[in-house]
Parts: sequence; C-alpha cells; structure tokens
Amino acid sequence: MTDQTRFAHASEAELARILDYYGVHWEYEPRTFPILWNTDGKVVESFSPDFFLSELEIYVELTTLKQNLVRRKNRKLRRLRELYPDIRVKLFYGKDFRALMLKYGRFDLAASLSGLEGQLMPERLAQPSLAIAIPAVPVAEAPIDTAQPGSVDPVEKPAQPVKPARRARPSRGTRRRRGRRAFIAEDS
Amino acid sequence: MVDQQVRLPAMQADVAEVLITEEQIRDKVRELGGRITADYRSTSVTLVSVLKGSLPFMADLMRAIEMPVQIDLMEVSSYGGASTETSGLVRILKDLSSSIEGKDVLIVEDIIDTGLTLNYLLRYLRGKNPRSLRICALLDKPARRLVEIHIDYLGFTIPDEFVVGYGLDFGEYYRNLPFIGVLRRELYETT
Repeated sequence: MTDQTRFAHASEAELARILDYYGVHWEYEPRTFPILWNTDGKVVESFSPDFFLSELEIYVELTTLKQNLVRRKNRKLRRLRELYPDIRVKLFYGKDFRALMLKYGRFDLAASLSGLEGQLMPERLAQPSLAIAIPAVPVAEAPIDTAQPGSVDPVEKPAQPVKPARRARPSRGTRRRRGRRAFIAEDS
Repeated sequence: MVDQQVRLPAMQADVAEVLITEEQIRDKVRELGGRITADYRSTSVTLVSVLKGSLPFMADLMRAIEMPVQIDLMEVSSYGGASTETSGLVRILKDLSSSIEGKDVLIVEDIIDTGLTLNYLLRYLRGKNPRSLRICALLDKPARRLVEIHIDYLGFTIPDEFVVGYGLDFGEYYRNLPFIGVLRRELYETT
C-alpha cells in the first residue's frame, strides 16, 4: 500500500512503512473534517488527519518540529475534538517520531525526518526505498564539488561572500500540495 | 567481575538521571508477583517473555510469583527500515517452545510505547488458542502509543524519555544497568 500512496512528508512515508511492517492496516487522509464555517455556511477551515487505522478506529496526525505549525495543529485538533467527540485522533509530535526512529536504530532518519529537512530529505534521494517525483520545496543549490580525488584546481579563486537567496515563502497549502506530489514511497 | 566493576561506572556516567532505582524496581516486581500469584492461584500460568529487553524483568518476576509457573521465550524482529529489512514484514525470530493451547498465558514485556509489537504478538498468540491472554509490563510510555492496549499488570508509567537499563538498551548496551535511567541526550543526538 505504501508504494501507491503519495505522501506530503517523508515522516508519513516512514510511518506507513512501520505500520505495514507490523501488519496494521492504514488509509492515508481518507477523510476531511470541516472545523470552521463562515456566516454563509461555507467551510473555511478543515482538518484531514494523516492516517486512519481502521482496525483500531483511530486517526493519526504527524507534526513537524516547527513550533508554529504544532500550535496551529494543536488548535485544529482541539476544535476537531469539540465538534467530533467520537473521533479519536492521536497527535504524534515530531520529537515523538524522532524518538521512535532512535528506538528502531534509524539514527540517520531521526535527523532527516524532522521539519523542513524531512520535506527536502536530500540523503533519501539516494535510497532505493523512496523515489521522489518532484522536489517538494525548491532546494537551494549547494555548491557541487566536481574535483576528482587527486586533481588540483589550477587557479585559486578568492573567497566570495555568500549571500543567502531570499524567496517568498509559499503558503502552507501550496507547500502541502507540492509536498503531496513529491513523495512517492516505494517498497524495496 | 573485574570487567563489570570497570564498565559499570562508565555506563552510569552516560545516564543523565536515574528514573527508577534498583530498590523501586525490586519492590514493584515483588508487588506484581504478589498480584499475579493471587490472581492465578487456582490455576497455573505460562509466562511468555519477549526477548531481549524483558529478560531481567522476567527473571525477577518469575521468582516473585509464589506458585508453579511455566516459562517460554519469544523474539520478534524490530522495524529497522527498508534498508535493513528484506521482507518488510515483522518476523518471529524465536517462536514458543511448547503449545499454549488451553493455557493461561501472561506476556511479560519490559516496555510498551507504540504498542505495535505487542499488538502483533497478541494477534499471533491468540491464534494459538490460549485459555486466557494477559499482559504484564514493567514500563508504560503512553506518549507514543499508537495502538491502545490494556495492560493487566503495570509497573510504572514513565515520561517520553529515552530510557536504558534493566534490560532496555541503546545500541545493545546498557541492558545490565540495575536501574532504569534516562540516557544523556548528546549520546544519541550525535550518533
């Protein structure tokens, strides 16, 4: 099931893999809960928990380490619980997921599966287990060391001050849509 | 013995704080043993320990139960990600040595956090038709729970910290610490 689902975040793909491993059936974002309406009755805010574990009848929502996103998600979750008291949602914080990766000895992923790094996850590009169709977020181009071992750069260039490129931050919805296109987990 | 004396202080230095002392563990194990003895006194019980972490707990608990018990050991593979697993599915690395059909079985676990491993084990063991199937866990870490599991006999509920000792490991070490402690953060954050 993991190989057919496009995940918004690398940690979601990893959780799906963990659930598959332990034989827990899951559905990815199967339901959207409206949580706020305007005066015309139009839905202006909703919440789609990441996973539904149907046999356990629980939704699971993963968060990143970014505190502002956690606060927003906590608020949404409170609202969801007010409006849908029968729905069980487990919020899995970034630090919890990180700790889980440490428990499983996935020290490499513990660092790479958090926050924005998890969306970029450059080192995972090399892993055959996950294929990325489109970069989720534009990746700042890192200087590429093209020098071969033993080669000598004939001209020593003066060091240039590095000016970080500034770009407008896309909205959360845009980032999520981009992300959803980006991560296609494949079973190895 | 000399090796132990040399190594133990070094391991203890890696522990930021002692969460549960050796004495507290001993008292709790005695209490759990008493409760299990009382509950199963009219019958007998088969203790099934899940390797490797629950080994010290199992060894102490079985001696705190004052009635005839049978023991068995199981080991299941742990998730290690796609890079280390070929099948991508949990496997029984060591199965029960004898049948549990019609028996009262008590699973002895060191710690329950996500509940995924135990959920798998419960399904597996229920398929072997025991008369009853209960759970005894020394530690419960509810912060990371994904699968709700009823724990019949529980030692301690602990916070969401990386704990080692009394069977719990980090990189297969620290299992022989006599207490349960919180591992210093820098040890695993720099790994």
